[in-house]
Amino acid sequence: MTFYEQELERIKGIVYSNQGQVDTVIAIRNYIENNYDTELNLQVLSHFRFVSKYHLLRLFKKYYGQTPKQYLVDKRIEKAKEHLRNGMKVTETCFAVGFKSLGSFSTLFKTKTGKSPTEYQKEQLSRSK
Amino acid sequence: MRVTIMSIPVRDQEKAFQFYTKKLGFLKKVDMPLEGGNRWLTLVSPEAQDGPELLLEPAPIHFEPCKVFQDALMQAGIPWTGFEVDDVQGEYDRLTELGVEFSVKPTAMGTVKIAVLNDTCGNNIQLMEIL
Repeated sequence: MTFYEQELERIKGIVYSNQGQVDTVIAIRNYIENNYDTELNLQVLSHFRFVSKYHLLRLFKKYYGQTPKQYLVDKRIEKAKEHLRNGMKVTETCFAVGFKSLGSFSTLFKTKTGKSPTEYQKEQLSRSK
Repeated sequence: MRVTIMSIPVRDQEKAFQFYTKKLGFLKKVDMPLEGGNRWLTLVSPEAQDGPELLLEPAPIHFEPCKVFQDALMQAGIPWTGFEVDDVQGEYDRLTELGVEFSVKPTAMGTVKIAVLNDTCGNNIQLMEIL
């Protein structure tokens, strides 16, 4: 067994010893992956796994290094980029990935990617020509 | 400032190019001749062709301490770097079929599943799937 394999075993025993918690956060992440386009918040997620909102927040951050909200935003932006590359209109994209306001979608998109949705789409579509 | 280049030290650029494109599936982005037969050789993921580029860098051939460090990591089984995949088990099956050797078979580590392969150019490379 290599040094790295020994370390994996050691770390697994310390960090991932609580399988119940691991199962909970994996289920929550999968729920976000499959429902990112709906109205998701801590309330909905905590009802889904029957855990308190704050416990869920702590667990998710502990195992994924991000809050569920941060994870959800990244997921929505990733899907929005995919839709824009495929030629979907900006407004349609905004609602298709679960945002409720075009303004907050555009601002967030620019913060995360450095470009507005329109700029991003133009650039991507011109590249594929 | 932007993250655009991630460097991987390789013993043989052409061999590495063949492995990373033919086996792992990366695409050539830039291939520019430099002095002494060296190349500025970068690859991208087919799913993110405008994303970060992998630089296959011949550092261990030209700078002994790099070779010593690379050998030490290889011997300890420590990955030089890692790539995210959708399905570690599926990649493991596909790559073993192509003759790629793994020092760590698909293993769940809490919220990730990992496997570690030998890139035949001096490095262990970790594949990671987020669960």
